[in-house]
Amino acid sequence: MEPPNLYPVKLYVYDLSKGLARRLSPIMLGKQLEGIWHTSIVVHKDEFYFGVGGISSCPPGGTLLGPPDSVVDVGSTEVTEELFQEYLSSLRESLFRRESYNVFENNCNTFTNEVVQFLTGRKIPSYITDLPSEILSTPFGQALRTFLDPRIQPPEGSPVGPPNGQ
Amino acid sequence: MAENGESSGPPRPSRGPAAAQGPASAPAEPKIIKVTVKTPKEKEEFAVPENSSVQQFKEAISKRFKSQTDQLVLIFAGKILKDQDTLIQHGIHDGLTVHLVIKSQNRPQGQSTQPSNAAGTNTTSASTPRSNSTSISTNSNPFGLGSLGGLAGLSSLGLSSTNFSELQNQMQQQLLSSPEMMIQIMENPFVQSMLSNPDLMRQLIMANPQMQQLIQRNPEISHLLNNPDIMRQTLEIARNPAMMQEMMRNQDLALSNLESIPGGYNALRRMYTDIQEPMLNAAQEQFGGNPFASVGSNSTSGEGTQPSRTENRDPLPNPWAPPQATQSSATTSTTTSSGSGSGSSSSSATGNTVAAANYVASIFSTPGMQSLLQQITENPQLIQNMLSAPYMRSMMQSLSQNPDLAAQMMLNSPVFTANPQLQEQMRPQLPAFLQQMQNPDTLSAMSNPRAMQALMQIQQGLQTLATEAPGLIPSFTPGVGVGVLGTAIGPVGPVTPIGPIGPIVPFTPIGPIGPIGPTGPAGPGSTGSGGPPGPTVSSSTPSETTSPTSESGPNQQFIQQMVQALAGASPPQLPNPEVRFQQQLEQLNAMGFLNREANLQALIATGGDINAAIERLLGSQPS
Repeated sequence: MEPPNLYPVKLYVYDLSKGLARRLSPIMLGKQLEGIWHTSIVVHKDEFYFGVGGISSCPPGGTLLGPPDSVVDVGSTEVTEELFQEYLSSLRESLFRRESYNVFENNCNTFTNEVVQFLTGRKIPSYITDLPSEILSTPFGQALRTFLDPRIQPPEGSPVGPPNGQ
Repeated sequence: MAENGESSGPPRPSRGPAAAQGPASAPAEPKIIKVTVKTPKEKEEFAVPENSSVQQFKEAISKRFKSQTDQLVLIFAGKILKDQDTLIQHGIHDGLTVHLVIKSQNRPQGQSTQPSNAAGTNTTSASTPRSNSTSISTNSNPFGLGSLGGLAGLSSLGLSSTNFSELQNQMQQQLLSSPEMMIQIMENPFVQSMLSNPDLMRQLIMANPQMQQLIQRNPEISHLLNNPDIMRQTLEIARNPAMMQEMMRNQDLALSNLESIPGGYNALRRMYTDIQEPMLNAAQEQFGGNPFASVGSNSTSGEGTQPSRTENRDPLPNPWAPPQATQSSATTSTTTSSGSGSGSSSSSATGNTVAAANYVASIFSTPGMQSLLQQITENPQLIQNMLSAPYMRSMMQSLSQNPDLAAQMMLNSPVFTANPQLQEQMRPQLPAFLQQMQNPDTLSAMSNPRAMQALMQIQQGLQTLATEAPGLIPSFTPGVGVGVLGTAIGPVGPVTPIGPIGPIVPFTPIGPIGPIGPTGPAGPGSTGSGGPPGPTVSSSTPSETTSPTSESGPNQQFIQQMVQALAGASPPQLPNPEVRFQQQLEQLNAMGFLNREANLQALIATGGDINAAIERLLGSQPS
């Protein structure tokens, strides 16, 4: 039996604030955050990520965010592309449906963490997955939550959900 | 190696029992481990012998998940577990999780454990276009990609002016380079709500050590920060990147202006801050335009117009006022500069108000004032809003309680600088005037369009009168305007916001200064304008201006009569014309007009103007 192919798996990490978080977080939140992290998985020459539009994919580095701010090598996997797609489609129907996106509890990093564990058995760095709790532990974050979390009705009654009504 | 003899003999049977154990096929005491099997949809725990093979494991799984073993694909640590492997081989111990993907081959429906719909390849092809579309739509909205992107935008917006200048510049560039982003941010209700949370904004701003220093030096800034309206209005301005640019520019200019101001400014500024908001609101509604048009040319005039400055901090737009076209331009940038709370905010605002003050002054001295009055009368709502604003009342109260403040403010108006005499007149009448302003009847009268129109008419009438028959209104001096204000207000009552007062009143919000000033020029030219270019009337009655209070009696009476006549409140009754015209009668007598009755009638007809009365008498005689 031939040795199974190993496909490298990479984690693309983006700072959504483009450096602003590092500068402003001490002021706004009272604690130092190095960035507002968004992650995606790159495997089988595709980048996969989870957003308000559900699980999506694109060529690596092909999102609006441009090239990643950092790339973490999370190992290799034997999972074939076909198998991976099946796995993703299952995810699309379960935990990572389009409407189940929640910026604090079920966000892009949650997805990435799941997928990486599936593919390689490892988890993504904790500073990424700890971000929501870090933010929520500040008063500013609590205020944010009112508006970013569609489960909570914001005062104006206009939840900030999928902006484009996707 | 050597001596193979016995050592190389056949293996001892002692190894028999060991050999008998064989390759894990009959473990003596297999340990049962609990392994979690996780699918995309569910998670189950399995208790299996430690040394199971993958095949066995799969069989257990297939029963629980109701699939066939060949549909199951187990993955652990990135490796696909093959049937002939063992769990131990892969390092699967107690408590670990193994991932499972169930392949659907014939797509039997209704089974939850199967990935529904497409098979592997179909899934791939189907998901690709979908993912493309979603990625496209996601890409089209950067904030949707990660909602925290909104946070980034927000932070750049909300703190653009409370931080390091370099950061500010950077963000400015960012924002200015993508106005759409700005608009998007501003229109985000979250942003708006958050920014109208005073606590939050205050926290944000005060967290900046620079701001803290600033606040220590100028406690009124904390007042400013505590007003969520200011904050939100500030940011409304920020919607317009052009305005942002302008604001930044003006800030620089204002700073340079401020430098030329003597230290006494700070004291005044303190007072003005409390009045700042109503002023800004009022003036913004009325003057729109670009108060900074004269910024560059008025670096030195700031000193003389300090009080007026406050008036022109106006542009804090009243969000509930009918959105006049005035909302744009640098006036609002003043708001931004004042509301943004940067180190130079108050100073810049005041610097801006310097220019604005000049603008105000220039406005007052132009006929444009008249049209403005008309606008006001046409739009009672405007005034209503202005006057009913709670801060207006507080402003009035503060002014009335602090007559010195009001006096200073008004007297320093550019209008008055040309006429110190007028200032003297105004001084004693300020308290009464302010009392008047607080009278709710006054306010309601001012908001009554018909009342305003009546005022306009009176004003125009007076003006016409002045030009047509200047002799008719000898006592219509600037003092009259003032006297009218101060004295007539009280006794006459609210119903008779006299012509001159009419235009004054609505401008009060702008600052008692300006209004009273314009009463002169803007109002009836006959009133002789508090300003420089007085018509003949004012020039002819300088002496009278010096002692308005002494003549306020007759003036007041006259005005009272006139207003009553106009208002039709009662048949014109000249109270004691004899008394009134006592002086004139004596003069006429001395001149030789002995017919007292005729004199009296002539005087009444001419309103006390001796010359006109004489002509009248002379003209009537030959006939």
